[in-house]
Amino acid sequence: MTTWRSAAAVVLLIAGGGLGLVSTLGLVVMRDWQDRVHYAGLSSFSVFLIALSILVRESFSLIGDKALATGVVMLLGGPVMLHVTLRSGRIRTLGDWRRNVDEERERR
Amino acid sequence: MNEWLLAAAILGVCLIPCAAVCMLAGPLSGLAALEVAGSLTTAVLMLLAESFRRQPFIDLAVVFGALSLIGAIVFARLLEQDL
Repeated sequence: MTTWRSAAAVVLLIAGGGLGLVSTLGLVVMRDWQDRVHYAGLSSFSVFLIALSILVRESFSLIGDKALATGVVMLLGGPVMLHVTLRSGRIRTLGDWRRNVDEERERR
Repeated sequence: MNEWLLAAAILGVCLIPCAAVCMLAGPLSGLAALEVAGSLTTAVLMLLAESFRRQPFIDLAVVFGALSLIGAIVFARLLEQDL
């Protein structure tokens, strides 16, 4: 394996692992569930970066293709998952996901 | 221990705080922790497959990644009602 590919794979691995660490740290540090949900999206992006690092190292082999497929699924499915989670949380707490937060404060 | 196995071990340790948030925080925070844990586990499975150079191991990551997304969406829909 050439040197630049090895270096790029390690850089992508460190970036993906770092994003995973930051998302775990944010999950623990944040107090509100709406703040914590943001870090779920960050963690799905870390999977994509790790998949890219495997692809750079292995090229388009069986393991590289499947890692890329996994990363793309997580990258595309992450925002959908976030939207459904936030929508469900608003329905659970406010009764309707369209209700404005300021309107809810005035009503209380 | 190569760099892939080291990254898998570090991300595996990160599952412990996610489990703590799931157990100690409210249901919606627990759902967020479940989503983060699903992403981390997918990354760990991919890293283990790369570390051990066993191609069949990557199938676990492919299946787990898709199922963790679907499972999180199902849990979110269930949490709309007050369970």
